[in-house]
Amino acid sequence: MARDKTYTEEEFPSPLVQLWHNFKQSPAVMIGFGCFIFLVLLAIFSPLISPYSPIENNLDAILLPPAWHNDGDVSYLLGTDNLGRDMLSRLMHGASLTFGLSFIVVILSMFVGVIIGSISALTKGVKSSFLNHFLDVILSIPSLLLAIIIVAILGPGLSNTLWAIVIILIPQFIHITRNAVVQEFKKDYVLASKLDGASNIRILYYSIYPNIIEKMISQATLAQSAAILDIATLGFLGLGAPIPMPEWGAMLANGIDLFYIAPWTVYLPGLAILFAVVATNLVGEGMRHALKVRKEH
Amino acid sequence: MLVLTLLTFSLSFFFPGEQIINVTGQIDATPEQIALIALDYNKHESLIMQYWSYLVHLFNGDLGVSMASRIPIMDEMMSHLPATIELTTVALIIAMVVGIPIGFIAAIRHRKKTDDIILAVSMIGYSIPIFWLALLAILIFSIQLAWLPSAGQISLVYEIEQVTGILFFDILFSDNPYKWQAFQNASVHILLPACVVALAPATVFVRLARTSMLTVLDSHYIKAAMAKGLTFQQLIFRHAIKNAMVNVIRDVGLQFANLVTLAMVTEVIFNWPGIGNWLIQSIYQRDYTAIQGGLLALSSFIFIVHIFTDFIYASLNPLARGIKYGS
Repeated sequence: MARDKTYTEEEFPSPLVQLWHNFKQSPAVMIGFGCFIFLVLLAIFSPLISPYSPIENNLDAILLPPAWHNDGDVSYLLGTDNLGRDMLSRLMHGASLTFGLSFIVVILSMFVGVIIGSISALTKGVKSSFLNHFLDVILSIPSLLLAIIIVAILGPGLSNTLWAIVIILIPQFIHITRNAVVQEFKKDYVLASKLDGASNIRILYYSIYPNIIEKMISQATLAQSAAILDIATLGFLGLGAPIPMPEWGAMLANGIDLFYIAPWTVYLPGLAILFAVVATNLVGEGMRHALKVRKEH
Repeated sequence: MLVLTLLTFSLSFFFPGEQIINVTGQIDATPEQIALIALDYNKHESLIMQYWSYLVHLFNGDLGVSMASRIPIMDEMMSHLPATIELTTVALIIAMVVGIPIGFIAAIRHRKKTDDIILAVSMIGYSIPIFWLALLAILIFSIQLAWLPSAGQISLVYEIEQVTGILFFDILFSDNPYKWQAFQNASVHILLPACVVALAPATVFVRLARTSMLTVLDSHYIKAAMAKGLTFQQLIFRHAIKNAMVNVIRDVGLQFANLVTLAMVTEVIFNWPGIGNWLIQSIYQRDYTAIQGGLLALSSFIFIVHIFTDFIYASLNPLARGIKYGS
């Protein structure tokens, strides 16, 4: 993009723009980012573009292998499962369930976590120390175990699983927001606006959030890869999405009995999960690398 | 630790059903019995007193009886926990033995092909869903190649009396004439699940080892040693590895929580008689006393390992001790 240098004044891009500049340097990361965008689009448009309904049975075509197999049928590109449901459509709808929902879950918990984290960064004394110790305990319990416990309280089901994952992700966000806000608050530019008489909330909104948002995003990608795995694991254990739903983990659990005669019902959802997690991790990795590069300059 | 017990105590209120039954697991007790139990747990007094009596019961090893099997939770846990300890320990050892050297190699060959390949593989290993990996492992190694057994802890042919609960010790201490065959059989059984559990932590160890080795190699004393004319091997083996290891040890405790979660899922798939398998079964059966007990046991297990690694770290690294006393 051509930019006329009318003024001699140097232009400082905002932190997010800088992050993007550093971020797009590495080709591997951009491939990951492309896959990530692809998954997001798939999650949104899957009901429109999938060839069949994900739950409709077709008893004439049970356990068809994928199209490249000798017995395969090209109209069922990735084969069918034990009730003749098209694997490709199920995988597409699974993208919106597993991947799309994990996205929503992360945004929700980030929202709550950032608010509580900022409040705890601004408070001092007993309240904040209690919060810290409580968080330490929560963070020391493995997240999946905690999710399983919460599901045990709420009862199995997809929406309960999602709430459970939202709850277990919140402490991480509180922790990282708190540390980031406390760190930023010590810097001089915050002191300057404080001397100008800005209230704490104003400082948070105008000075601090724009500077810590990239940390939040990189934490969010970490959280999302964990959320995808957790949703799928709970689905697999039969505690999350019920079996007929095309959630990737539940699909895998559904296919286990047929593992030996129809291995594609197991390896395809697994590959889908792997693909989603790798894409998310690549984006996160690129983000962290870009952050590090920026810090060094 | 206390907060943990507070958490499990409050869980008994969150679970559906009567709180006192959730704590003790006496589902088909008569009203008179319930009244007796309620008296025992100070039910009529304030919450703090109730919590206190809960703690007292806890320290006496009384966690109630399982709602499903009517066996005291403590006994059930004692028979399941050792299997989990065994699996996680073996997995941790595998993860460390495999992961840390690979990380060091990646750091030594920094920004070269080897480094890139190791990083890419570790990224994939980190992202694989554990249950899928376990299924693939069973498919390949147990069914197609028929090398390793796919389920259980030991073949049913061997009768091993449970003494310590940890199967390997039990076999060694038993006076079974087929001791060594049993030992071999048990080690063959543990190999596959342990490798599956170990994969993801191993990749994390690769990353940790790589970063810590890079910082060490960048430090002044390495440069000084290099300037003295030490060969590269002397440099790595005498100076770098020790210092890099110290930083990795610190994070072992954190990784352990992750490892236990993975072990839980793996236990279900490999039908390993551990506490994760038992806990998930009890969730299906709505066995609330068992859930509380299992949560408490697993978290305290993690906690103990955490403290333990902290001690090891402090004893290995004089710097970590210095900060506490120095400033």
